[in-house]
Amino acid sequence: MSEFNNKPAVKPSAHPFEREIGDLWTQAQSGDELAYAQMLQLCAQRLRSFFKRRMNNTPEDIEDMVQETLLAVHTRRHTYDSTFPVSAWVMAIAKYKLIDFWRRHERRDRLHDEFDETLMAQTTQQPSLGGNESNVADVDTLLSQLPEKQRQAITLIKLLGLSAAEAAQQTGQSESALKVQVHRGIKQLSQLIKRRPS
Amino acid sequence: MKTDSFIAFLAKGAQLEPKPAITPRLWVAASLGLLVSLVIIVTFIGLLPKAAFATASPWVKLTYTFLLVAAASHLTAGLSQPLAHLARPLKRLWIVLLAMLGVGAWTLYQTPSPDRLDHLLGQTWLVCPWTVLLVSLPSLVVIQRTLRTFAPTQLREAGFACGLLAGALGATAYALACPEDSPAFVAIWYTLGILMTGVVGAFSSRWLMRW
Repeated sequence: MSEFNNKPAVKPSAHPFEREIGDLWTQAQSGDELAYAQMLQLCAQRLRSFFKRRMNNTPEDIEDMVQETLLAVHTRRHTYDSTFPVSAWVMAIAKYKLIDFWRRHERRDRLHDEFDETLMAQTTQQPSLGGNESNVADVDTLLSQLPEKQRQAITLIKLLGLSAAEAAQQTGQSESALKVQVHRGIKQLSQLIKRRPS
Repeated sequence: MKTDSFIAFLAKGAQLEPKPAITPRLWVAASLGLLVSLVIIVTFIGLLPKAAFATASPWVKLTYTFLLVAAASHLTAGLSQPLAHLARPLKRLWIVLLAMLGVGAWTLYQTPSPDRLDHLLGQTWLVCPWTVLLVSLPSLVVIQRTLRTFAPTQLREAGFACGLLAGALGATAYALACPEDSPAFVAIWYTLGILMTGVVGAFSSRWLMRW
């Protein structure tokens, strides 16, 4: 995979992905938010096809991984060393996140949480929770009825797929506090779903 | 959340604030770790008597460990990010290591052969590597947690480099208490203790450095 070579220098003959995002990244680094958003969009496309090719068994997690990688690029962007092409940097992070995902997935399958399953069982009676707009809106309405802290914890850990440690870093709360919030929130959510007229 | 709105959320107000680079952060972590190692050494073993510092042997050890600290921190800084040129730090590390082995071998060659085994094993060869490993563990934790806030993607290699750095720091502290004279002893048993710390670092990276 040529994008993982440790070759320096952004040459005019660079990889097409580098040509797309290189300049946008430079502008973003000097504070151009529009260029940054555009660059992240291009990365999202590239990452989506990268993960699609490597996550055949778990297609439902692809979009989570795209977002997780974008978040990693975002939170670590101050560590980027400009002697390397940014495209190779992004893809190296993606590769790391993929390996981490495989490891985490093995573990997560063994330790599946009961609360998750009760909630899933109840929600699948509703039209499925898959990616379509109206259901996304549905989740948003439900979430909006939760206290701020529970909503934040669930959004970060369950919807964006961050690990507890990463979420703790994002919010400044401790990992265990976040886990408690997620559990309380999910309990509350299943109450809300039960009570709802269908 | 949909990826589009997630991107908008990330990009909004995303001015890049300057944060400290890897090298200064690594020095802070290394100093902290070394300090803890020194406290452990002074409390549990005690420093060498002053007269010992008039001889060459502590300075030989300190020179070796300082050069290792320099080379290993260079390597660790490289592995704190996804892409790095590692050839130069690796070469430096090998030069330091081989130079010490060379000096050790040469002094051993100068020693009359019946005394060679004594020079090589000294009085403390059984405890030396383990002590180096134990006093290095605080540095290892601090350094690995520091590296985690950067972007190490080759966790095992980066963990090993952190272990070498921590081991070299621990060996620096231990050199102030170690009664052995022979460079051959240092070349073998110090190096072994440092490598052991490296191996521990490679394994602990999965827990301490995951991000």
